[in-house]
Amino acid sequence: MESNKKYWKGLEELNQTPAFVEGSTGEFAEPVPVENVLNEAGLSTKTPRRDFLKALGFGLGAVSLAACSRTPIHKAVPYVIKPEEVTPGIPNYYASSFNGQSVIVRTREGRPISLEANPNAIGLNQGTDSTASAAVLDLYDMSKLQNPQIGGKDVEWTRLDQEVIAALNKAQSAGKQISIVSNTINSPATLAAIATLSEKFPATQHIQVDPVSYSGIIEANRSAFGKAVVPSYRFQHAQVVVSVAADFLGTWLAGEEHTQDYIKNRDYKSLKGGKMSRHIQFESGLSMTGSNADVRIAIKPSEEGAVLVSLYNAITGSSLPGGTTNTKAKTAIVLAAKELVNARGAALVVSGANDTNIQLLTNAINTALGAYGAIIDLDNFSKQYQGSDGAFQQFLTAAKAGQVGVAFFLNSNPAYDYFNAEDVKAAIEKVDYTLSFADRADETASELNAIAPNCTFLESWGDASVTEGLFTVVQPTINPVFNTRQVEESLLVWAGVRKSAHDFVKEYWEANILPGTGKAWKDVLQEGFIYKGTATGSSYSANVDVSSVVTAINNDSKRIAGDVELRLYESPNIRDGRWANNAYLQELPDPVSKVTWDNYAAVNPADAEELGLKETGKVTVEANGYKVDLPVLLQPGQARGTVSVAIGYGRTKVGKAGDNVGVNAYPFASLVNGTVQFAAKATISKASGIYELAQTQTHHTIEGRNIVRETSFAKYLQDPNSESGRFADTHQTYDLWNKYEQPGHRWVMAIDLNACTGCGSCIVACSVENNVPVVGRDEVRRRREMHWLRIDRYYTLNSGDEKLTEENEIARAKGLDYEDVTVVHQPMLCQHCEHAPCETVCPVLATVHSSEGLNHMAYNRCFGTRYCANNCPYKVRRFNWFNYWNDSRFDNYLNNEFTQLVLNPDVTTRSRGVMEKCSMCIQRIQAGKLQAKVEKRKVKDGDIKMACQAACSANAIIFGDANDPESEVSKALRNERVYYVLEEINVQPNIGYMTKVRNTFEA
Amino acid sequence: MSSHNESILREPLITGKDITYAKITDDILLPVENKPNKAWWIGFIVAALGALLWVVSVGYTFWTGIGAWGLNKTVGWAWDITDFVWWVGIGHAGTLISAVLLLFRQNWRNSINRSAEAMTIFAVICAATYVVAHMGRPWLAYWIFPLPNQFGSLWVNFNSPLVWDAFAISTYFTVSLVFWYTGLLPDIATVRDRASGLKRRIYSILSFGWNGSVKSWQRFEIVCLILAGISTPLVLSVHTIVSMDFATSVIPGWHTTIFPPYFVAGAIFSGFAMVQTLLLILRKVMNFEDYITMFHIESMNKIIMVTGSIVGIAYLTELFIAWYSGSEYEMYAFANRIAGPYAWAYWAMMTCNVISPQLFWFKKIRTSIAISWVLSIVVNIGMWFERFVIIVTSLHRDYLPSSWAMFYPTWVDVGIFVGSIGLFFTLFLLFIRFLPGIAIAEVKLLLKSSSLQHKTKLVQEGAFPEDQVEFFRNSLEKYDSVTEEDIKALHQK
Repeated sequence: MESNKKYWKGLEELNQTPAFVEGSTGEFAEPVPVENVLNEAGLSTKTPRRDFLKALGFGLGAVSLAACSRTPIHKAVPYVIKPEEVTPGIPNYYASSFNGQSVIVRTREGRPISLEANPNAIGLNQGTDSTASAAVLDLYDMSKLQNPQIGGKDVEWTRLDQEVIAALNKAQSAGKQISIVSNTINSPATLAAIATLSEKFPATQHIQVDPVSYSGIIEANRSAFGKAVVPSYRFQHAQVVVSVAADFLGTWLAGEEHTQDYIKNRDYKSLKGGKMSRHIQFESGLSMTGSNADVRIAIKPSEEGAVLVSLYNAITGSSLPGGTTNTKAKTAIVLAAKELVNARGAALVVSGANDTNIQLLTNAINTALGAYGAIIDLDNFSKQYQGSDGAFQQFLTAAKAGQVGVAFFLNSNPAYDYFNAEDVKAAIEKVDYTLSFADRADETASELNAIAPNCTFLESWGDASVTEGLFTVVQPTINPVFNTRQVEESLLVWAGVRKSAHDFVKEYWEANILPGTGKAWKDVLQEGFIYKGTATGSSYSANVDVSSVVTAINNDSKRIAGDVELRLYESPNIRDGRWANNAYLQELPDPVSKVTWDNYAAVNPADAEELGLKETGKVTVEANGYKVDLPVLLQPGQARGTVSVAIGYGRTKVGKAGDNVGVNAYPFASLVNGTVQFAAKATISKASGIYELAQTQTHHTIEGRNIVRETSFAKYLQDPNSESGRFADTHQTYDLWNKYEQPGHRWVMAIDLNACTGCGSCIVACSVENNVPVVGRDEVRRRREMHWLRIDRYYTLNSGDEKLTEENEIARAKGLDYEDVTVVHQPMLCQHCEHAPCETVCPVLATVHSSEGLNHMAYNRCFGTRYCANNCPYKVRRFNWFNYWNDSRFDNYLNNEFTQLVLNPDVTTRSRGVMEKCSMCIQRIQAGKLQAKVEKRKVKDGDIKMACQAACSANAIIFGDANDPESEVSKALRNERVYYVLEEINVQPNIGYMTKVRNTFEA
Repeated sequence: MSSHNESILREPLITGKDITYAKITDDILLPVENKPNKAWWIGFIVAALGALLWVVSVGYTFWTGIGAWGLNKTVGWAWDITDFVWWVGIGHAGTLISAVLLLFRQNWRNSINRSAEAMTIFAVICAATYVVAHMGRPWLAYWIFPLPNQFGSLWVNFNSPLVWDAFAISTYFTVSLVFWYTGLLPDIATVRDRASGLKRRIYSILSFGWNGSVKSWQRFEIVCLILAGISTPLVLSVHTIVSMDFATSVIPGWHTTIFPPYFVAGAIFSGFAMVQTLLLILRKVMNFEDYITMFHIESMNKIIMVTGSIVGIAYLTELFIAWYSGSEYEMYAFANRIAGPYAWAYWAMMTCNVISPQLFWFKKIRTSIAISWVLSIVVNIGMWFERFVIIVTSLHRDYLPSSWAMFYPTWVDVGIFVGSIGLFFTLFLLFIRFLPGIAIAEVKLLLKSSSLQHKTKLVQEGAFPEDQVEFFRNSLEKYDSVTEEDIKALHQK
């Protein structure tokens, strides 16, 4: 209701006096002296001196006070209740395993940040390959699924479980198969989980298939020994190794372990004892293993069988038909056979072909050489590759026939990596219910009904058993980051068992693995592994019908023999394609070609010339009905008439970093004799267009310079100083600068060029440790990769007796076939020169020398004149051309908020415009010194390990204190083979290299 | 002022008839006191657009980082430092002309020193922009100076040639500016005296109260002499120190003791070429033919020829020493220059710097304005390539072949270079619009001694023997500003 009442504020209002009426019209009752202020006189009023001083004093005081306040610190949230085991700034280490290798995971404030080999796993692998070093990045991959999905939409786990259980029940009642398609699973716990499911649903079948299959070896061993296994190869017992197309130091079976064992017969300790193995390699493309061979013969894929036949003939004295007609190979085989026979019991022949017959012949040769037992161990066999191409064929047939009710795909992506992806897709369509455990909607998963994303190994409980008798444990180092569930738990839920993965794994171990070992579950979590195998394998003799095998080989060789033959190979970095979204690995250069971010068609330069192909050209490759354009790479050492293409590229649904990198080469493969084979008859022709590959090294010859010094084993035996130069012994040098005492430590490094295989795992380990940015293909093309450590690779072309190391010599030489090359790998990093040329030229002292012999870099002080990098004779300094940590162009690699959680908090990220370089892992040195101080002792040799050193399986990098004469590095640097790169310019580097020794055939 | 008579054998430095002090002032101040013509506007707009390109390119670099350029892990300096050294080198002629020629009493410098010094200052400004722009973090550029700071004991590295360079360039710039401005004072006063209104007030402030008293003139002369004394060592020191940016390194092709004299000669070479380029246009457009005569052009061409020959000898010496050193890296560095992937740049340099100035042995060529102008540009192209060759071809293939790489410029590299030329011409065009392009006072000094009209008068008075007069007449034939009539007048009455 409206009120009619009126209230008056005073008698003036009630009486409406004229003064009130006048005053009530304005905003203010009393007039404001605006005019007085704004008129001329008001504006020109002089401030009295005192007022001025007062204002000045107040202003000054206020500004000073404001300036005294502390800069606010953002995002530093302390623990409300500090977890007992977490001390900010101190890493925690957990024993776990990666791909079955026992590793130590380093975590900081609850985040896993790096992996290193478990140092207590003596006898097992002591280094990590590039994938192990880079694996931690996959935890922080933003392309992963964050929730389970049905039909591409996020759902709750309960909903997914209901649907899956219904599908399983339906399949079971309809009498249809329930298929679990996976790559090789050697985890006892996972297998037990699968077994639990098949108990509930007896129609369950487990099919294992590997993109890179070793079915040939398994089938051959089944036939020859009655043991369908891949044996373990013990290269440390082999004094003569002949490899026919097996990249055994890289991708073939357990490359890292082979490297560690193989190098034991070739490194400085072995040479000191006067021993060095001989390695002869026959292959078509130049593999990393081939690049390390003492003798390498380029052969076509179709000759692989023939070479083995000739070798068999030469060793056993038989005369089976179909030996090689390649004259170079023939000569080498005669010499190799002699060596092998002389070294009987310490000789080994391996073959990379996934062909049962070829592997049978290899078995026969190895039997003749007495390799079974100490070298080829069939008792403690490898369980890394158990996939069966035949089993997968059967699955496809059954699926297409509509006999499969449910199909699960675990670590398996056949829609991408099976040669006939259309067939796989057709089969999937006929399956009633399909599900993938992939952590992302990959090529296969995106075709299926549902995705139940698995956790990464860093978020899971689990185990592995890569060789018979070896068990390693997987323990989580972080809670699942996304709403993912590890596959074992999913299987248990669907089997109706409510049990956590931890309990399941623990109970499994306590029931099946721990009994008899005297160890408890807790011990295993601390130690990481248990070994129950025997010391060596027992002797076996292959039962092979050689003549029928040879006939089959000869027939098969004819199938692929052609003017041009294609050989697919596995990239040592991306592998079968599963690492395609890992930016560290995409940017890691191929050990031989130094190409990043792409695959390519490697052809011999002489062939390329005939085809009119140049660098940056493109080529059309056609084989097995598949035709595709690839960038061409002129690869010295490539056999004439062959082309090599890496698989693992050309993925379309792997994530932002890896999508559409390179071209898919799987469709070139074919199924022959029941196994998937990677060699084929092909045609190549010049294609239009240009494509520049992103290579980290574009000049491939050493120009006759003595930066890599090499000698032969025979010369070394006569004089260990051979070719090492010993410049310092023969030259007087003069110093411009004052000599400073270095009384405490003097950190130095020794690099054994005979041990380094060039694999590059040190590069990844360094990048992970030191937060080295990934810059992407375009920036690598501009030659701006940021790696602090690189591996230089130089080719020497052999033309008759001439060794061509200079660009001009090669240009002048006529009729080179480019097949006969020798290769050296040289790790190159900051040499921490005592007379560092970078230090004198920096105008602001941003790079200075420490009293411990290190060349420091003060990022804060650097303003980026780049003079230091120009003046570095080794060109190891790296400039931050852009702000790699806050620039949208680099978002797909490491630069986003989530992925940056992988960074090592001990190392700052460098801003734009600043120089950086190898710091000799200064943070590790500091941590080691502090640890020793806390324990009130001196730093011991071996306390501090560089990231690169820790990753190196070959122990090619030795770091330590030169002031300690008993340290390993001091001993190594006293070796006769030691020389310093560019020592003649007297920059006094602190990294010594040991000459490369080749055990070549002496004429 | 001219108490003595100059020898008739000396060629005149001022031509034309009826030249008076007033006419000199009128002629030289013509562009300053009148609205600019169309040619100036066209030139200015083109130059200003160039300067705008410079702003855009440098701005883009500052925004994104040095990655905007074509540099890489192997070639850390390329166009940036090439352009820097090129501009610093160009700046050298100004000081040489103003200081060294003054001390040696080379009167012909009086007509060209003003614009040469202005050119020096603008060239050094262009050079200095690269010092800042090439830094990864240019906002910290002041760290190059040993300033007291609150960071503790942070200090500069006095071993680093880049620190020497910062001192050398800043000293050079300061001294050149002071010298140039001191010389300008009487001329600014002249402009002031003839102007009115605001213009008069501005020029009045700029003239520092010049009153033209004897005392002022006396002090002026002394200051100029002192500044000439200070500047003379700078002519040698600046480019010596610039050359040490390379010579103190360990990179083959840089690590060379011949660099200081070689760089100084090269700098004078390119500086004179740039003066020639500018003055040939200036005298045409501004009608300064009577003050900048064929004698000046020919003299400068001779200097270009001499310094070009010195540079040529330096190139050959380098090659010889590379071979003689027996050092494989040194030998390769030079073999790579001659026949490597950048051989085209090396041969461009050789052609432009060594062969082309030798054409000046021919009098026809060195007195031809068109050819002189073209060759002056060719020389500066050659000198740009010289720095490119030294910097890029030395860096791109040094010790370890694994790091060998090529350098490809981006649009930003090109933009900054072209833009810096625009910036230079913008400044120069503003200079000739607002300040006298020829030193009025100093040219007036020559009127009563070295001008053609004075000499004609003396000849007519019969002061010289006939054979000398004949020689003088012959020497005038090359002058484009001397008419038949002028020569006919050179007979005794």
